[in-house]
Amino acid sequence: MLSSRLLLLLNAFIAFAFAGSDYHEQLLLRPLPQDTLLASFNFRSNESQASFEQQNFRYVPRSLGQILQHAHTQELHLRFSVGRWDAENWGQRPHQGSREGGTGVELWAWIEAETEEQASARWLTLTNALSGLFCASLNFIDATKTIRPVMAFSPEGDHRNAPNLHLLHGTLPHEVVCTENLTPFLKLLPCKGKAGISSLLDGHKLFDASFQTMAIDVRPVCGLESGKCSLEMEQSVDMVLDIARSKRPKDNPIPRPLPIDQIECDTSKGFNAQDTCFPLNKGTEPGWTLEEVFGKPLRGSCPLVEDGEDSNSVCINTPPERTIEVRSNGDFSESRLASDTLRCYKLPVGADFDLVLPEQKMTTGLVRSDPALFAARSINGHGQERGSTQAIIRNPSTSEAVEFVYLESLPWFMKPYLHTLRATVDTSSESPIKETYYKPALDRQRGTHLELRMVIPPSSTLTLTYEFEKAILRYTEYPPDANRGFDVAPAVLRVLTPQAADKKGIYIRTTSLLLPLPTPDFSMPYNVIILTSTVMALGFGNIFNLLVRRFVGADEVPAAAGGLKGVLQAKIAGIKAKLGRA
Amino acid sequence: MASPNAADASSAPEPSKETSIIVPRAAKAHNGPPPESKEGIWLRRAAILSFWAVVVLLGLPVWWKTTAIYRAELPLQDMTDWAESKICKPVFPLRIAVESSISSHDAQQLVRLTQHAIDDLNEFSAHHLRLMPATSPYTANSSQEVIIDGTSIRSDDRDNALVIRMIQVETGETPRSQLQSYSPTLDVYYSASQLPAQSSTSSPLASFIAQELHTVFAEEQAQLAYLLAAQPGAQAARTKALSVEKYVELDRQSTKVLKYAPTYHLTFSLFSPSYTPSAWNIEAALRTYLSPLLESFSGISNFTVDSQVQLYATFSPSIHQPEFDEHLKAWTLRKEDLSAFVNAAEWPLSPSIGEGPTVNFILYVPDASQSPLLVKENAGNSWLIPQWGGVHILNVQNVSTTPNVLTAEDLVPAMHTFSDQLTVLFGLPQAPASLPLRISTLERVRAASLIFSASSTLGALAQVYQKMPSIPVPDNVAQSVDSTIAHLQQACHLLREGRFQGALEHARIAEVEAEKAFFERSMVGQVYFPDEHKVAVYLPLLGPVAVPLVMAALKELKGVLASARGR
Repeated sequence: MLSSRLLLLLNAFIAFAFAGSDYHEQLLLRPLPQDTLLASFNFRSNESQASFEQQNFRYVPRSLGQILQHAHTQELHLRFSVGRWDAENWGQRPHQGSREGGTGVELWAWIEAETEEQASARWLTLTNALSGLFCASLNFIDATKTIRPVMAFSPEGDHRNAPNLHLLHGTLPHEVVCTENLTPFLKLLPCKGKAGISSLLDGHKLFDASFQTMAIDVRPVCGLESGKCSLEMEQSVDMVLDIARSKRPKDNPIPRPLPIDQIECDTSKGFNAQDTCFPLNKGTEPGWTLEEVFGKPLRGSCPLVEDGEDSNSVCINTPPERTIEVRSNGDFSESRLASDTLRCYKLPVGADFDLVLPEQKMTTGLVRSDPALFAARSINGHGQERGSTQAIIRNPSTSEAVEFVYLESLPWFMKPYLHTLRATVDTSSESPIKETYYKPALDRQRGTHLELRMVIPPSSTLTLTYEFEKAILRYTEYPPDANRGFDVAPAVLRVLTPQAADKKGIYIRTTSLLLPLPTPDFSMPYNVIILTSTVMALGFGNIFNLLVRRFVGADEVPAAAGGLKGVLQAKIAGIKAKLGRA
Repeated sequence: MASPNAADASSAPEPSKETSIIVPRAAKAHNGPPPESKEGIWLRRAAILSFWAVVVLLGLPVWWKTTAIYRAELPLQDMTDWAESKICKPVFPLRIAVESSISSHDAQQLVRLTQHAIDDLNEFSAHHLRLMPATSPYTANSSQEVIIDGTSIRSDDRDNALVIRMIQVETGETPRSQLQSYSPTLDVYYSASQLPAQSSTSSPLASFIAQELHTVFAEEQAQLAYLLAAQPGAQAARTKALSVEKYVELDRQSTKVLKYAPTYHLTFSLFSPSYTPSAWNIEAALRTYLSPLLESFSGISNFTVDSQVQLYATFSPSIHQPEFDEHLKAWTLRKEDLSAFVNAAEWPLSPSIGEGPTVNFILYVPDASQSPLLVKENAGNSWLIPQWGGVHILNVQNVSTTPNVLTAEDLVPAMHTFSDQLTVLFGLPQAPASLPLRISTLERVRAASLIFSASSTLGALAQVYQKMPSIPVPDNVAQSVDSTIAHLQQACHLLREGRFQGALEHARIAEVEAEKAFFERSMVGQVYFPDEHKVAVYLPLLGPVAVPLVMAALKELKGVLASARGR
């Protein structure tokens, strides 16, 4: 518990901001159960409001800064995520979920505008511009994928001078996040992935991780006394690496069993023999080095980081007994914090730096803190017409009730029946729903927006269900891979009490859902055209022939009647006659 | 069906030869259908005809109409005429005020003589100077203003291209002249004796002034002549005012100049291969060295300015890395590598958001280990990239330590280079020495080129309209075309009157409207959905319906022809 509280403190410390231009970066490593490693990269740059308005960009990149100015965006949050955070095993989320997004792409922003229409127009400008900058399909965030949340989000920045702010939120659960999104992300950093902790980021490892989320947060920050404002841009990457998987060398990436003489066998097993082996579970922490796990060396510090109390760039959160060796040719310094559970290093300039953790049998472990809530959501039911959604939310705390906001943003073709909405808690009969905000969908114009404020008593499980109807889409509205199904954006849970220590809040996201819709045969339109045309032509031909043909008795038809048959028969008869004569 | 008849017909003659003549006749008479009544025939023909009538008169037009694309009417003839410069022949009458302290009568005489001399010198008819005696705003008061016949003007009028100030001196060489650098004023010094007599028909002073004026406006005439010569149907306008060398030089210059836009975005970027310098005092440098220049250009275009710092910028792998030159004691870049110096793939030089092109100015500070960095061939440190921007390599004096922050003083040489490059990119003429005069020249050249460019866009649109009958043309294209033509006419009219500022304004709107019409988005889509497609989709219906119709019509025609022949 101790360590995690200090971790929170550290995070809060990182988030502390100065007015003016400066730059900070920090990497926090934390080994997780099941031989995994959480790496949280955090990059923060500040630009004074004055030079931002004059478009003299130093640490905040010009490309993003201009987009924000052009779209009158005061605060921006952009997330690219892949994978699922395994809360049961890994515990609390990094940054308490405030720097995390739902699977795919999630974007929300506070836009300054006079009217709602103007806000929508500027939102459109913003999504289109960001789409170009990050090589993502953000331009597909249209009105049907945009909602205006009421309770789930609150601004992180100081918006004293901007009265007309509109919050817009859009998701793209179908988007596949990949290397082409990381490259522009790295280009926004002042050190460009060539020095500092960003030199560890590599697309191959990042997108191979069990869970990864990239976040960009821009907000205005004002000093409390001085009143001087600056624009703070925070970029963060959180990834959970499987150590064994990441350590595979590049030239031999396929996992193969070791030769039998190199494996330590569990001789206590009955089937152990000369040619069979059950690998021994040694119960040790695996050994790793930074270079092995990330596939790239850490090329010293980014020299733009100003000297100060938080100039420690790499921190590792392990029990004090864990052996950590440092391999570096340059000058570095180590400091131990939080009763030695946090070791931080100040990186050398211009020299490589590596941490070596040998394989070690551990006697103590760190206390893993539970998240405020566990949440899971799934689709139930069968058939192509109806279905139901079930969300199970559990409060692990034995003493405190948790109040939270549950936000659903459903696509328009998934039409929930609000009268079927049921929320039950297993320990009490009282309805947990305190407040409901619902904006129904309009076909092809906007999606459903549902926000619920709910309370779960201690050690209880809340089950939320509602039924929905699946709409039938138009022919052109299906994507190319229509039979795969349609992605439904993850639900967002914001914990209201216990309150978060800072303005960022505590968030939990469920996984996205795959919704199968009735899918037509796509050659159908042409079949329909041909079939209808044939029927019409048949009818027309019949009527027309009835009207213009002359009907005579069968024996009245003239002998050498026209037509191919008549000609042929006349010929055959002629030949027969000739033969008969001969 | 026909087989028993046919068998009968062929086998009948065999058994009974004597009845052979009778039997077939009898068989025919017996088996043939009864003759059709006249009404029956006419009814059938009427039915076929009515079917055809419905198909041709109703079906096809409805089909055609419902699948047709909307094409707004465009004034094609006008558009083509504009493109061929048949409607507007731009002329540039420049008004020059002559301000003098001599009596109005003498002034009139001097102006008259000088005008004669200028007209003799001028070889380019579209561009002519008109001298007017003027009163100085400082000396003139209401009692002295003797503007009776409208031949005199005030010298501070904005429509004056140039003011000649006649200054009588006692000493020094006379006549002599002095062009002021920061105002459109030509000071002419003369002695009293040089004033022309009342009766004389020529005067050395007048021809001196004429010669001076001719020199001042030579560059402008050349530029305008160059512009006019490039126009279709303007072969006659190719004048003696433009020598071949001058033409080539202007051609070279014009390839560097940016396309005209009402707004330009200027981006100043500091690139460094290492982490220093990571800051620059660009704000102060821009305020001191660039803002005045941009302000003087503001009559022609608007500018936005932004700056960025980019560290760890490496060269593209396609160029040769700098080599150390013992002779120059410097690291050198090969001239042919300069075009690839800007690493477009990695350096974030994306265009600014918003309308208008981006002009990039790059300040490159080489690494301490590669300093000083120069161009091998001429030991220069800056170059211009046509229609894109400029590069300046800043070699810091103290080689051993690159400073962390570049001060405004460090940036002075770079700022001078950038402002020079900006004037070239902007198309500001090199001569004469007076900046306001050069800017007003640019104004006229821009106005003319905008008129030409808008006209040729109109012509291109007319061609597209005629050559591609399958593209839809919405009404707003027609509106834009009308507005373009209206503004072009205004601009042309104002040019003729010599009000160039207004002409530029209208030409600018015309250009924007013309581009809007030409690049209308909805005109493109239909190109990929050709007429054949329409037929292909309906073929399963049209084919089976057409076959019985056509067959019936053919059969009936045959019948009509046969009966006509039989008669």
